[in-house]
Amino acid sequence: MANRVAIVGIGQTFHKSKRPDVNQAEMANEAVRAALTDAQLEAKDIEAVVSANMEPFEGIYLPDHWMASEMAACGKSGFKVATGGTSGASGVIEGFHLVASGLVSTSLVVGFQKHDTSDTQAGMSACMTPVFGAGASTGAISEFANQALVYMEKSGAKEEHAAMVRLKADRGACRNPYAQLKLGLKGVEEILASGHLEWPIRILDFCPQSCGACALILASEDIARKISRKPVWIADTITVHQEPFRAGSFGDPTGRETYSQDVASRKLYKRNGITNPRKDIDIAEIYEPSTWEELMHYEHYHFCDENEGWKLIEKGMTEIGGEFPVNPSGGVLSTNPIGATPVIRVAEAALQIRGDAGEHQVTRDVKTAVATALGGCNWTTMILLRRSI
Amino acid sequence: MTRSLEELEAFVVEGKVTIPMTYSAGAVGSRFLIEMRDNKRIMGMRCSKCNIVYIPPRSTCPDCFAELNEWVEVSDKGTVVTYTVAHQPSPVLPTEPLVVYGIIQLDGAGTGFVHMLGEVKPEELRVGMRVKAVFREERTASILDIKYFRPLK
Amino acid sequence: MGKEPTQEYIQVQINTPRPYRWSTGKYLGKLYKEAKGHKKLVTNRCTKCKELVYPPQMVCGRCKVEAGQDWVEMSDKGTVVQYTYLIFPRWDPHLGEYYASPYPSATILLDSGLYLRSRLEEKDTQKLKRGMRVQAVWKEEGRGRGQDDIEYFRIIEEPEVDK
Repeated sequence: MANRVAIVGIGQTFHKSKRPDVNQAEMANEAVRAALTDAQLEAKDIEAVVSANMEPFEGIYLPDHWMASEMAACGKSGFKVATGGTSGASGVIEGFHLVASGLVSTSLVVGFQKHDTSDTQAGMSACMTPVFGAGASTGAISEFANQALVYMEKSGAKEEHAAMVRLKADRGACRNPYAQLKLGLKGVEEILASGHLEWPIRILDFCPQSCGACALILASEDIARKISRKPVWIADTITVHQEPFRAGSFGDPTGRETYSQDVASRKLYKRNGITNPRKDIDIAEIYEPSTWEELMHYEHYHFCDENEGWKLIEKGMTEIGGEFPVNPSGGVLSTNPIGATPVIRVAEAALQIRGDAGEHQVTRDVKTAVATALGGCNWTTMILLRRSI
Repeated sequence: MTRSLEELEAFVVEGKVTIPMTYSAGAVGSRFLIEMRDNKRIMGMRCSKCNIVYIPPRSTCPDCFAELNEWVEVSDKGTVVTYTVAHQPSPVLPTEPLVVYGIIQLDGAGTGFVHMLGEVKPEELRVGMRVKAVFREERTASILDIKYFRPLK
Repeated sequence: MGKEPTQEYIQVQINTPRPYRWSTGKYLGKLYKEAKGHKKLVTNRCTKCKELVYPPQMVCGRCKVEAGQDWVEMSDKGTVVQYTYLIFPRWDPHLGEYYASPYPSATILLDSGLYLRSRLEEKDTQKLKRGMRVQAVWKEEGRGRGQDDIEYFRIIEEPEVDK
């Protein structure tokens, strides 16, 4: 029988666009120290360390070997995980597996990325070509552009709805001390007046490139109940794969991850007795690299019916004070250090359950939360957190 | 089942990937490099708990995980802990072979660090040799601001 | 963190190109060979579900069985399902240079029933429309880059219905 596992420590850096004052190892170290302080544990109490990072963006191969000291990993077991955008979530899931298996009773999960090192889109293009047909690839942005156009056509959503998503994210970010982009936007008009990156995606429709790290400390039930006043339980996790970005894959001309998100959410909800997601789950921290993506994710994760995603934002239902808050932290739109981002989603969801989110704490009482991630090759991960089990 | 040679012939795509990278030395790394450039000084970081001076300096002690901030100047003279000689040319070598690498423990440092040895023939190399840093005239805040370590006569 | 205050931060630039030799394998290799040698797009049809598998590969993703060697030449004409155009300069790591802007690209439904993503010839963004009929224009000298040996798709007729 597997151990039950809880999050007992949460730490993250103040995410910024450039961090010349630290190297990659020192940056990850900041999050690790913050998590240890939060858990009131010492480095020697950690039995295994799982790190999450995508090397092409920093050109440092095997960063986990380089920064064993800074990650409190000397003398411990553990490994690095690199699964594209889901790296951080896969890291959390591996940290969870290690403790659930009973082989260790504590694990540390560190996700980090230092995007000021290179051009992220170039790094992604290098992955795609020669993988396939990406002479037309423009990194991730063209995928999103295509997807947005198909969605507008299909559902009747307008550019205003994408702008509303950015407004919501900015409001959250301005209340979140760790978030990077705090723009102080006043309204939809301001956003519609801004320039395009790749039509119809505006600069404001897309996430930034950040330097940041996020660390979580996981512990088995007997340790968690002893040392933590507010353990956050990892009730369930799921990873679903799909063929990589190929137009036409599984009947979807955009070649995006609709299929894997649908399968993952159905399975997760079924085995956890979730029949009405907006009612049975209190908040969601989702991985939305573009504003359009968020509208579609509302549908793919079954928070609403197909083609209705834009209505949720129009009615304000996903705001911090709304019926079903989504990304009260400002989300990926405000902060995106790729290796850390999914860990930040879990961390922010856990903070909401603990009631420790400060100014961006939602008004709804949070007993159950879900954190999602998506990544290269169209994987989807979902992690379900509960206040009590 | 036999296959024709044509079927078995592989199609190989040759190319080059270039992604420009900008690495940050960080505050600690920067000070180490700047002290070499501006003052020809080699600075290390001391962990008072473990009583070790780390060269190059670092902000976290690998043994006890303490946060380090005690800067210590170490000597530009030291002892060769071990060495090797590179004979084959390679794009990663800083100069044409023969290149002599050594791990040098400077006086005052608790760890050795890798650099090159110069003004010495391979047959004269000995573990335990005493060496001294030779700084370049023009320095750019790089580890190569030290040209090499030469034997102390 | 208690470090000595350092105003100057040292950064190191490394731009070394990394050469590679990528083996395409039996299936993709055939696509690359036909594209370079004969300016044709080919792919394999799964022996079980009879769907075209593109890009050609050993295992059919749907059936999870060996797709087999039933090769089909695909049409070089298609219809633009959706298009977009790049505005900011993008670095191509394989060319070591920036792409110009605007840089139009599209999702094209080939007459063979497969979607693919490729560049468009027409740089005047006002002239781009969904539903346009397009045809592949191959590079003079195939560079051995498979589908990427298609330079771009050229508009051959306007859509029937104004979209």
